[in-house]
Amino acid sequence: MKENRLPVFSVLDVEKRFLLRKGRNGPVELRALDGVRLDIEEGSSVALVGESGSGKSTLVRLLLGLDRPSDGRVLYDGGDLQQVLSRDRARFAREVAFVYQDARGSMNPRFTIGDIVGEPIRVHRLHPVQHIPQRVSELLERVGLPPSVAVRYPHQLSGGQVRRVAVARALAQQPRVIMADEAVAGLDVSVQASLLNLLRELVAELRVTLVFVTHDLGVASYLCDRIAVMYLGRILETGPVDAILQGPAHPYTRGLLDSFPRFDRPLRAPLRGEIPSPVDLPAGCRFAGRCPCVQPRCTSSDPVAQPLPGGRLVACFHPLSGQSGPT
Amino acid sequence: MSAPRSMQVPAVPATRSGALAEGWSAVWAQRSARWGMGIVLAYVLAALFAPWLATHDPVAQAVEAAMQAPSTAHWLGTDSFGQDIYSRLLYGARLALAIGFGSVLLGMVAGVALGLIAGLAGGRIEWAIMRVVDGLLAFPELILAMAFLAVLGPGVDNLVYALALSFVGPFARTVRSDVLQVRAQPYVEAARLMGVPMREIVLRHVLLNVAPGIVVQAGIRVSIAILLESGLSFLGVGVVPPTPDWGLMIAEGRAFITMAPWISGIPGLALAILLVALNLLADGLRDALDPRSGETR
Repeated sequence: MKENRLPVFSVLDVEKRFLLRKGRNGPVELRALDGVRLDIEEGSSVALVGESGSGKSTLVRLLLGLDRPSDGRVLYDGGDLQQVLSRDRARFAREVAFVYQDARGSMNPRFTIGDIVGEPIRVHRLHPVQHIPQRVSELLERVGLPPSVAVRYPHQLSGGQVRRVAVARALAQQPRVIMADEAVAGLDVSVQASLLNLLRELVAELRVTLVFVTHDLGVASYLCDRIAVMYLGRILETGPVDAILQGPAHPYTRGLLDSFPRFDRPLRAPLRGEIPSPVDLPAGCRFAGRCPCVQPRCTSSDPVAQPLPGGRLVACFHPLSGQSGPT
Repeated sequence: MSAPRSMQVPAVPATRSGALAEGWSAVWAQRSARWGMGIVLAYVLAALFAPWLATHDPVAQAVEAAMQAPSTAHWLGTDSFGQDIYSRLLYGARLALAIGFGSVLLGMVAGVALGLIAGLAGGRIEWAIMRVVDGLLAFPELILAMAFLAVLGPGVDNLVYALALSFVGPFARTVRSDVLQVRAQPYVEAARLMGVPMREIVLRHVLLNVAPGIVVQAGIRVSIAILLESGLSFLGVGVVPPTPDWGLMIAEGRAFITMAPWISGIPGLALAILLVALNLLADGLRDALDPRSGETR
């Protein structure tokens, strides 16, 4: 990692609460994020991994400025995101691109693909108007689509093609950061693989910062160099992808890794039960109820993130030290 | 890289004008809509070329030729003032179509603007606009138009305003609900994230996707407008005689319905055929444009 560089995004103890209803004993709130701290370095690619309901999509919405944190701050380039947005929304909009999970839904159904990909170029005046069709063709070719799709409509393309168009549109604004929410989920494995290859090439070639939300550790490890494992609105473990996959320090990460079907060993289901309700957070460590190595201390006090060698952070009183051998 | 190079996309050249042509051919593909379109077109042509097609002056009275049955001199007969019904019918088509389309256009502009503002602004502004719209919708169209005409007095321009006012409510209501639906779509959020200016989001993203509903709504309203216009004139609060108007003509022949049934019958028939044709066309538009009514686009 480069030294002395300001991270692109800094998430400082961010909380996000959603009011469900005003109960008799005070408001009933859902804590989607509860004390999240994360730095995203320039040029890195970070995967946010976790089960459904872990708060990864909420975190991305905060990073994009679509929601405001209830507490804590999000910094972009060292400045408070809300101030950055009110001062120069256009610059932020150009520098940070977002690829939606619902790629088709994120495109105006009455626009042609050419209009869709050309829109950020036109809005940010990145090229003269008469060069836009040419630029759109280049972008479509770059993502592996024939330029002739420019005259089609989103509903005329397949799921994989629409995702490629979404990537092309993100590239069109020449972004500094690309965020993607489950951008390869729900596709055939072959289509998923070619899309992953494309994204990996692009990240390497354009040196953009990538924030990739996924529930798939395999996808995360293929595409990203850092991982943040989220659980119930908090980051349990962060660090370089290889180190974490080789030797997960948090029992939850281990559980996630063991939950993946592999050819060479029988599948265990080490994660018992389901993610608890974020409305009624458990006391102590939030993972204690499902943890295979829970100790009395875990149910009484909440572990804070502590550093491990190799630039890792883990929020656990009894981090696993060994390699990911059989439990 | 193993990108799927062989794309199986249909070989239809779809350009911006292609979207319009696509919608048009979807209307044309329906047999009943084709009939409706043909008949409406015939009425429009008759109205446009009324001065050349008419055999007599539509307001020239001739007492000696009153209440004549259809003949070679008066193709569709004459009324109790001896006015030529065929000529009056042609000029009446002019008035009916002009008032029908004009009032819908006016009501549409006002209603769409109100609905768009209400749907986009939300909060107090939306509440205030929608309460006014509720007030407008509380009156039946005919009653609202009559009340308005009673205040302003009869006449063609007042009739157009009165009818337009009665259409503001329905347009505002449907546009607002469509706007609320479109506004929640991810592509609107995506446009905002991309930094598309607000004005452009409203025009290019929201309005473009609300437009089909507006067109369908307008198509249905035109026939209602013509029916209301004739009804108001029939009741004597719309167009003033001797202006050639179908509603007036029907009212005028009412007293002689047993002796000279053509005086009321012929304009009545003309009106009925036009309304059926307009409805067929509007249904065709709805089926072609409204995604909720089956598989289209």
